[in-house]
Parts: sequence; C-alpha cells; structure tokens
Amino acid sequence: MASTVIGAGIIIEGEIVTDEDVVVLGTVRGKVSAKEGVTIQQGATVEADVVGAGLVVAGTLTGNITAADRVDLQAGARVIGNVKAARVTIADGAQFKGNVDMDV
Amino acid sequence: MASGVTVIGRTTRVRGRLSGDGDLQVEGLVIGEIVTSGNVTIDAHGIVGANVRGRRLVVRGAVQGDLLGEEAVVLEDGARVVGDVRAPRVAIAHGALMRGLVQTGDDGSAQPPLIRAQPAAKSAAVPARVAAPAAKPNAAVAIRPAPVAKAASTVAGGAAGALRRPPPPVVPILKKTKGQVLKKKER
Amino acid sequence: MVTDLSACTSVARQLMAQPRTSTGGSESRIGGGARVRGRVQGEGDLVIEGHVEGDLTLRGHLTIAEGGSVSCDAIDAESVTIAGLLQGEVAASGPVQLAASARVRGNLKGSAVTIAEGARFSGRLDCDFDLPQELGGSAREARTKAPTRR
Repeated sequence: MASTVIGAGIIIEGEIVTDEDVVVLGTVRGKVSAKEGVTIQQGATVEADVVGAGLVVAGTLTGNITAADRVDLQAGARVIGNVKAARVTIADGAQFKGNVDMDV
Repeated sequence: MASGVTVIGRTTRVRGRLSGDGDLQVEGLVIGEIVTSGNVTIDAHGIVGANVRGRRLVVRGAVQGDLLGEEAVVLEDGARVVGDVRAPRVAIAHGALMRGLVQTGDDGSAQPPLIRAQPAAKSAAVPARVAAPAAKPNAAVAIRPAPVAKAASTVAGGAAGALRRPPPPVVPILKKTKGQVLKKKER
Repeated sequence: MVTDLSACTSVARQLMAQPRTSTGGSESRIGGGARVRGRVQGEGDLVIEGHVEGDLTLRGHLTIAEGGSVSCDAIDAESVTIAGLLQGEVAASGPVQLAASARVRGNLKGSAVTIAEGARFSGRLDCDFDLPQELGGSAREARTKAPTRR
C-alpha cells in the first residue's frame, strides 16, 4: 500500500521525504528519503540518491541507493550508482553499474 | 499507463518543483511550485507553500501562494489561503478563509466598468456637482455643454473612478442643467 | 421621479420608492424602479432591487437583489448578500455572500466570505486567520486543526 505515488506524467525536481512508502512512475530529480519502501516502476526515471527501508527498481535510476533491508533490481531496471543494503538481488536483464556494499 | 494520479501522502514532504500532466492530490507538505495540466486537490491535511497552477484546483487545506485555475478554483470548508486566486470560475464555500486578490473570468486584465453610468439626463447632473472636487479643469466652466462633455469623458475614460465617487448630498442644481442635457446623448 | 429622489438628502427611509418600509429596524426596500443617489444609512435590514449610487451604512443585513445594483465607495453593514451588481468596498462584521448571479468589483471584508461558483468577482478578500506553522503562521493554527469535512 503506497501512500505517495508520483504519477507517470509528473516531474519532481527537489527533495522528497516521507514516513511512508513511495511509488515512482514519473520522474524525480533530487533526493528521495522514505521510512518505508521505494518502488521505481518501469518507465520511471529517478536521478537522485534514494534512501528507503527497501527498494524495488524496474525503471531507470541514477544515484546511490541506501536501504535498511533489501534492494531488488528487476529485469528492465537500469541503475547507475552505488548500492548499500542488507540484501541485494539483481535479476537477469537488469543493467547495473556501481558498487554493492552488503556489509551492514 | 497514461498520466495517472499523483498522491503526495500525509507524511510526505516535498521541497522543489512539481510539474507535468495528470491529476495531483496533496495530503502532505509541498514547498516550491506546482504546475500541472491536470486537476489539483489539496486536502484538509495538505500544506502548500507554492504557487499552484492546474485545470481545476480544489483546496481544503492551507496554501501560501497564488492559485491559478485554467478552469476553476474552489475553496472548500477548512481552506486557509494567503495568496491570489485567478480562474474563470471561483467558488469559496462557507468555512473557507482567504487573504488576497480574487479575479474571476478568463481575462485578468482591466475590465470595462461594471456599472454603466446613468443615462445622460441624470448623469450629467452628477458630475456637475462633483466637478469641484475633481481635478478636471473644463468642469469648472459654468457653460451648459461642459458638464455633459465631462460626463461623457468621465464615462468613457476613468469611469470606474467617477462612478465610485458619490455625489455630495447637497444642493440640487438639476433644474438648470437638466433641460439642456436631455438633448445630448451619452457616449 | 428619479430627480426628486436624488434631490433628497440621505437617510434611508426617505429614499425608499415603495412606502412599505417599516420603521424601527425591520426590513426596508429600495424597489426595482428606483434610482437613488446619495448616502444611505439606517437601522435594520435593507433590500436593494433598484439602483443606488452612494455609500451605505447599515446596522443590519444588506441584500443587493439580482437586478439591483450599487455603486459606491464603501458599504458598512452587519452582513451582506449580493445577487446583483456591486462596485464598491464592503466591510461587514458578519458574513458576506455572493450568489452565482453576483457581479462584484471591490474589496470584501467580513467574518466569512462565501462566493458561489459562477459569480463574477474582482477584488480583495481579507479574512482573519493564521496559516499553519509550516508556512510561518503562529502556533495557534498548527496542524491540529480538525477538518469539518470528510
């Protein structure tokens, strides 16, 4: 259940801070910080450092990811940036360039 | 998926610019700017420190910024707005409070005088008495055509200003000018 | 007839077109055919169906009916309902309401101002309230305000 949804046609340039989870279908440039999960859907474009409890990425993300729990890069994901999380999965078909740090 | 609804949740704080297409629902905090071709709803918990531009804006929360609706702006009970509101249609419900300018209609620019001056027979008499306080030199002239000319120019020109100045409730000198004035047409 | 009326000095009751005014602070009426020029003041309520050019000071409720019009510098009343035309400023201690047929130009001030969708209005509104703290308001109007809707 997402309480913040950035729709497909919307561009946010700036910082998003929330206690809940975030689903991005549009574009975010800046910074995202959530206490719950962050989902970057297919077609979404995020140019930001993202902090969340967990991350699921199916779209494009350029920035560093910090997650307390797990990060899932799904098929179709294009991620450039460093990932710091307890667990990381990179699906077949996901493109990833960056460092992975699972030493939490 | 076409531009769906964007929801800024209750505990979410956005600092920056929100732009694009699609409807927007603000339940949290947005400081910056909001520009969309869709509708914008700021719910009772929403707090917006931004100019907001959209198609139809519905406000139930707090806004510090200008509200520009391509179609309408509606302030509902609970709305607290400090800023200007411009839209073809504006509604302000009981319980909504605001401080700022309101401009309905498509064109925000100067509009023609709201209340047309009285027909010549009556209006000429009015400026004749107002002539003294007003800074129009030709009005000081006592000849009969002058008050009419002044009436016409007052009406055509800064009509809003002339109309808003009520005549002093004094001496009726109507009888004298009235007969003459009836022959003139008000422009 | 209009000339006679405008030749009168101010007080509301003298300027009424229809004799069905009641004294002692109940409703007075400026009928549809009347044109009044001059200051209008009085106790009680006033309904304007005609045309008034002049400031209005009322210790009661003012109604500008649809078809009525007022052009002045200032209206001072307890409460105001506008369904007709107004060019002038309004200062009310109570509510100010614009019906959908209202056409108003001028600033409005009241305890509450309501505008029906469809009304045409150009002017300032000045209600007394504080924004929440997040927008720089005083602590009084913090996010604890309970929405009366929903």
